[in-house]
Amino acid sequence: MSALGEFRRLGTTRSGPRRKRDNKAAYLFLLPWFGGLLLITAGPVVASFVLGFTDYNLIQPPEFNGLANVRRMVADERLHQALGVTFGYVLGSVPLQLAAALALAMLLDRGLRGLAFYRSAFYLPSLLGSSVAIAVLWRQIFGAEGLFNRALDLVGVSGRGWISDPDTALSTLIVLNVWTFGAPMVIFLAGLRQIPAMYYEAASVDGANRWTQFRRITLPLLSPIIFFNVVLQIIHAFQSFTQAFVVSGGTGGPSDSTLFYTLYLYQRGFHNFDMGYASALAWLLLLIIAGFTALNFWAAKRWVFYDD
Amino acid sequence: MTDLTERTVPVVTTGDPPPPRFRVPAPVRSIARHAALSLLALVMLYPVIWMVVSSLRPDAEIFRSPGIVLDSLRVANYGTGWNALTSPFGHYLVNSAIVVLGCIIGNLVSCSMAAYAFARLEFTGRRLFFALMLGTIMLPIHVIIVPQYIMFSQLGWVNTFLPLIVPKLLATDAFFVFLMVQFIRGLPRDLDEAARIDGAGHPRIFLRVILPLMLPALATTTIFTFIWTWNDFFSQLIYLTDPEMYTVPVALRSFVDSTVATSWGAMFAMSVVSLLPIFLAFLVGQRYLIKGIATTGIK
Amino acid sequence: MHTPLTRRSVLALAIGAGAGAALAACGGGGGDAGGDISGDPVTLRFTWWGSDARHKRTQQVIDLFTKANPTITVKGEFKEWNGYWDSLATTVAANDAPDIIQMDELYLSSYAERGALLDLGTAAKHLSTADFDAGALDTGKVDGKQYAIPTGLAAYAIVVNTDLLSRYRVALPDDATWTWDDLKRVGAQVSKAGGGTVTGVQSWGFDSGGVNIWARQAGASLYDDEGNVAVPPAVLASFWQYLLDLTKQGIAPPPSVTVERAGGALDQSGTATNTSAFGTWWNTQLTSLAEASGQNLKLLRQPGEARAATPGAYYKPSMFWSVSARSAHPAEAALFVNFLANAPEAGEVLLTDRGVPANTRVRAAITPKLTATDKAAAEYLGALKTGPAPRVTPKGASGIEAILKRHTEGVLFERQTPQQAAAAFIKELQAEIDAA
Repeated sequence: MSALGEFRRLGTTRSGPRRKRDNKAAYLFLLPWFGGLLLITAGPVVASFVLGFTDYNLIQPPEFNGLANVRRMVADERLHQALGVTFGYVLGSVPLQLAAALALAMLLDRGLRGLAFYRSAFYLPSLLGSSVAIAVLWRQIFGAEGLFNRALDLVGVSGRGWISDPDTALSTLIVLNVWTFGAPMVIFLAGLRQIPAMYYEAASVDGANRWTQFRRITLPLLSPIIFFNVVLQIIHAFQSFTQAFVVSGGTGGPSDSTLFYTLYLYQRGFHNFDMGYASALAWLLLLIIAGFTALNFWAAKRWVFYDD
Repeated sequence: MTDLTERTVPVVTTGDPPPPRFRVPAPVRSIARHAALSLLALVMLYPVIWMVVSSLRPDAEIFRSPGIVLDSLRVANYGTGWNALTSPFGHYLVNSAIVVLGCIIGNLVSCSMAAYAFARLEFTGRRLFFALMLGTIMLPIHVIIVPQYIMFSQLGWVNTFLPLIVPKLLATDAFFVFLMVQFIRGLPRDLDEAARIDGAGHPRIFLRVILPLMLPALATTTIFTFIWTWNDFFSQLIYLTDPEMYTVPVALRSFVDSTVATSWGAMFAMSVVSLLPIFLAFLVGQRYLIKGIATTGIK
Repeated sequence: MHTPLTRRSVLALAIGAGAGAALAACGGGGGDAGGDISGDPVTLRFTWWGSDARHKRTQQVIDLFTKANPTITVKGEFKEWNGYWDSLATTVAANDAPDIIQMDELYLSSYAERGALLDLGTAAKHLSTADFDAGALDTGKVDGKQYAIPTGLAAYAIVVNTDLLSRYRVALPDDATWTWDDLKRVGAQVSKAGGGTVTGVQSWGFDSGGVNIWARQAGASLYDDEGNVAVPPAVLASFWQYLLDLTKQGIAPPPSVTVERAGGALDQSGTATNTSAFGTWWNTQLTSLAEASGQNLKLLRQPGEARAATPGAYYKPSMFWSVSARSAHPAEAALFVNFLANAPEAGEVLLTDRGVPANTRVRAAITPKLTATDKAAAEYLGALKTGPAPRVTPKGASGIEAILKRHTEGVLFERQTPQQAAAAFIKELQAEIDAA
């Protein structure tokens, strides 16, 4: 049952016997969260919404300009470029990264010596995070004199500066994202640990092979966690900023080929003193992400399995 | 996959015994697997190794001699880097540690409470609040930060760790709330039903039943909070303007200026130093990741 | 339908948004820049960008100042370039800006014209500019008001690696007479001898220096006095055509290598790694380059100057000192800027870290103390024949280098012709200026 399904059930009067409303306890448990929503989150969020209808250069007071920012979006070619880049990145990197993370998590889950070592080794790149070192390190692989080109030289192919070629720059960022699959891998690992081993034992006794076990046990029981990773990685990929920022020095170059949506928004807001438009851009992104997330929750009804 | 919607866990057999097939002897397979994993690890670790090697090279050699073969060992970068800024680098490590600790405590307490409510309790407005919670992670920080900075500066919180820690105490990190919700929903309901029949209230069920069972999720939260806070650059840059309050990522960036020569060796040395705490945190934390239900023997 | 927000409506908005009342940041300055120095303890905040070496030097100067002025405490806040501007914009928005602000030519108008900077003319009582050339001071003026004092000057130059030239037996060109064709010719000789690993020229077109000089040699300028884009498309197109020729004829590296090096740090450039014989740089970068390269580097004047209609060369202020308009202690802040700009003991610590000092007296005083490469940079600057400085980057055009870089990339990868790039560049830059 998906979260959305549950929302729907809440909307009706159909409540099971154990689904008694427990408002008091719930609000007590949610007290910190309500506090955060009202005191920390609400103000800036509302402010950014209001600023979306203004011309605001950060230094002087904002001026209302109605829907001018929206009209600008329609004609803004760099915005359209940024949307294209971002969709390409989301579609390319999320499936690849999650597949790599799940595969490695399965491999590293049990039954192999030196697991702790491999887990740590595979996680180590993710630790670098947004470090400034990333820009330099990534060049050691995909730069004109990087590891990748030297490997190509061995087989007699002459390479190029993959990071700085507009045809390949985005792909290297997708690889960079896959390279840092540590976070979803750890979440998968934690999820796999929640699957009782006896299911597999029973299946083995029944003669089910690995693939059948994966399809019939792992996938359904891990589905809430897979779902979590899919939802969050998509949101995350849409908001992807740091890697492109660090690798391209904040420009989104070459030739805007790595101009991620948030990078463009940041440039408008901070480099061009155009925070009103940046705020409007942020809300467009929110709508896009919310749309994708709603789609995910809707689709989840068909494949996510909860034990409740 | 129609069986996914069934209520029981499907352990399906095909009816027929699996066809006999040739099996590679176990030791060979094991060696092959190790070889493949090691190779993959090496490729993945190449940039990290390059960084460590570069931290042991004189500045001038770093970009002139490619590769990871070290012909001279120069630990001087570590001394230079440690003292390159106005305070010794240890000062920034301590600052980061304070922020990280506050954020971990905040996230563990506040997010698990909120997650319990969302995952296990029925209440008015749950649908709306859950959607709101997810919505809060959809706005990019860059438009939130200016109003938020204004708010915190009115409170006089700029140049303290409060703007970094207090939001975490108030469960604003929806990522972890959602993560824990998913984990709790993966736990069998029978357990809290049983506790409830024994007369336990929600606080007791939460503390005695749910929390111990979601140890992997809590460990995940701890590790991620540690790593992400340790690496978070933008909000720390904005809220901490006094170098005395700088954290590791802000200090590290102060080494780099694209218009003049950068002390790369020192920068890489301090990057290695700042990588150590999170790596150790991961090494320790991952042991708790694997202590899930499967090993506690429930069910 | 531009409705200026009144103070009350902003307040309502802010309360409604819970975001604090300062969204509009409408507070005025606290103190009087022409007043006396306070006898009570005063704390000033001073912010700059740079790398670790500059942080150390600057802190030393702060210590010197506070020793001489015990009632004033100066808190230094250092950042790297990108983070610096994010942080500055945020603090200005919150009415919480540091008192003394290191400023760049690209952003000077954007902050000054919007009222964020103090007119230093009002602080003349504490801040002397007598030892500055009028031409240098003019670079810090916006609408006739002195919003900023240049810290140092820089001039565009060609850095040549003479070791590479002698290894390949290529004669050093005479920079008093050479032309752009000469640069192509010697560059081609080096590329040919370099056999693929070393190229003659490191391509440019990623900072405003190169395009400014090209335009000025053609008798044009990037902006007119009103701050509109004034460079003729044909001049820009010939600039990009030249860069494209360099790449296509193998005088410069392939585009992806060029772009990679341009995006990297100074240490990763062709000049620093000894893989390009000629490169365009600001003269003040010579020392950093020489340290990174480890070989003999020399500054040459720009090609084409001898035949140019007007001198292309000009003095660029490497950076400025400015004071926040909302500083509560403008008099003390001005006193500190005075120390930074005029005190010989400050100059002796800073040396050429922020450019060859624009203060002629300080420049003369520190010249004997400079390293060989710094001395060469200072001599280059002194001997240069320059024209009047270009107009300060207009408000809204702070993104010019990003726009320029994008179009250079487009040309080098042949995604657009030089003519298309020229038209698009002018259109985009003008649109940014119009919108601001």
